[in-house]
Amino acid sequence: MNFLSINEFVQGATRTYLDPGSGSMIIQLVLGAILGLGVFVRLFWKNIKNIFVRGKENSEEDLDPTAVVESTMESSSEESK
Amino acid sequence: MIALNEKVSGSFRDPSGFMFKHDGKLYRQVNQKYQEEYDMLMSSGLYEQLNKSRTLVAHKEVDLSLAPQPEIAYKVIQPETIDFISYPYEWCFNQLKDAAILTLAIARRALKFGMSLKDASAYNIQFHRGKPLFIDTLSFEKYEEGMPWVAYRQFCQHFLAPLALMAKKDIRLAQLMRLYIDGIPLDLASKLLPATTKLNFGLASHIHLHAKTQKRYENKEVSQEQVKGRISKSALYSLLDSLLSTVRSLKVETIQTEWTDYYEDNNYTQDSFEAKRQLVRTFIEKVQPKKVWDLGGNTGEFSRVASDLQIPTVCFDIDPGAVQQNYDMVKKKNEKFMLPLCMDLTNPSPDLGWHNAERDSMQARGPVDLVMALALIHHLAISNNVPLIDAARYFADLGENLIIEFVPKRDSQVTRLLASRVDIFPDYTLEGFRDAFSLFYDILTEERVPDSERTLFLLMKK
Repeated sequence: MNFLSINEFVQGATRTYLDPGSGSMIIQLVLGAILGLGVFVRLFWKNIKNIFVRGKENSEEDLDPTAVVESTMESSSEESK
Repeated sequence: MIALNEKVSGSFRDPSGFMFKHDGKLYRQVNQKYQEEYDMLMSSGLYEQLNKSRTLVAHKEVDLSLAPQPEIAYKVIQPETIDFISYPYEWCFNQLKDAAILTLAIARRALKFGMSLKDASAYNIQFHRGKPLFIDTLSFEKYEEGMPWVAYRQFCQHFLAPLALMAKKDIRLAQLMRLYIDGIPLDLASKLLPATTKLNFGLASHIHLHAKTQKRYENKEVSQEQVKGRISKSALYSLLDSLLSTVRSLKVETIQTEWTDYYEDNNYTQDSFEAKRQLVRTFIEKVQPKKVWDLGGNTGEFSRVASDLQIPTVCFDIDPGAVQQNYDMVKKKNEKFMLPLCMDLTNPSPDLGWHNAERDSMQARGPVDLVMALALIHHLAISNNVPLIDAARYFADLGENLIIEFVPKRDSQVTRLLASRVDIFPDYTLEGFRDAFSLFYDILTEERVPDSERTLFLLMKK
């Protein structure tokens, strides 16, 4: 097997200048799996629910950067009232 | 050709390009190495969309002959000018939080366009026209299917760790950002955070477990096969969303500190408060400054006299609670000319980083046309023992003109400061003040604030 250090690999493949850190890469795989499972369970549950409740289909929430910034602005201005 | 020493010293790390100054204007050289990514950013629609939402700094391509290193240059671009460069250790909690949210939103949007945000440094965000703005055009790279997020660790160090420490432990831990300019080490954050944060899924995974994993894989090489293809695009979206909900859940409620209720407990009647505001306005109109710094500006009550005249104004205050109230107001009213920042004037931001030149001191970011120091001098002179002459010298270093309020010993605020200590300030009088400041300034106007013991001065540097 061809082992490369994570540093060489990342620099070669993606021209990145940051060292992403071995541990920081590995934990993403772990979290990705856990979070992915969460999404799967939620979808599964929704599908079961849909059998009984005929609801409108929710499109996946799209995070528009403007919307994100504006929504934080709204929420915090509400808080400060 | 431009000498290399015109390179802006804060931008040496990224081989994709660098910032440089020419004729007083800021430019960015994009290196050939970055050609593919730059073209992708510009042609994929990502730039257009981020630009439309005013979240990525706008730029125009200019003459390539300006390039300081033409042999490796692909383009020279000129980004739009930012009025004042501020740093994360000068932001209040909500500013850092909004910067974090914007960074995640941009990372997510980039992924939609087949790109990955390779740099999630908090220094890539600036507050421009009242809102956070991502300023590093060269932070995008082509997304490779199955690859983890390269900037994940950086995001956690630069944003999540300080936000968590401020929200869950102590607001003053924001100062750790000044010590660790590449972000707070996660093992340190993990140690400092209360144990209860281990019950919070987001903090448990992105900080505590993250720190543990770092420790475990320290000095271990990880193979390409081990990483590549092991994290799907949808898992990456989930990771970003998890970070986003973690950041959003962190809150610092209205911080009740020393100064936030200052205006309810001071030496002014409503009338004299208005009169003071009117005087400040007259002085500002006389000076017609292009930029204003208000020192010790609290929640920005008097800074707004300047910013309402559409003069870019920075309002510095030592109290993060006051700064946060000010920032919340900026957002609520969508103000474009006010920038609230945390600053301890008795220990202002120094030059930091490599060669002490990566991050500028507060003073190096000046001088400005007009400095304001209202209801401040007694705190410097009496609480902090700064002789009036030294205060005058410092203000003169910061700007051309000065609006300053002298608060005499008869004033109840000063009486309070002196109540618990011996009065070792024989020169702290109106005459002593005039003498000290006349060494550096001409006194243009001197006006007693009606119904108070205080005097307002307009001074011009000699």
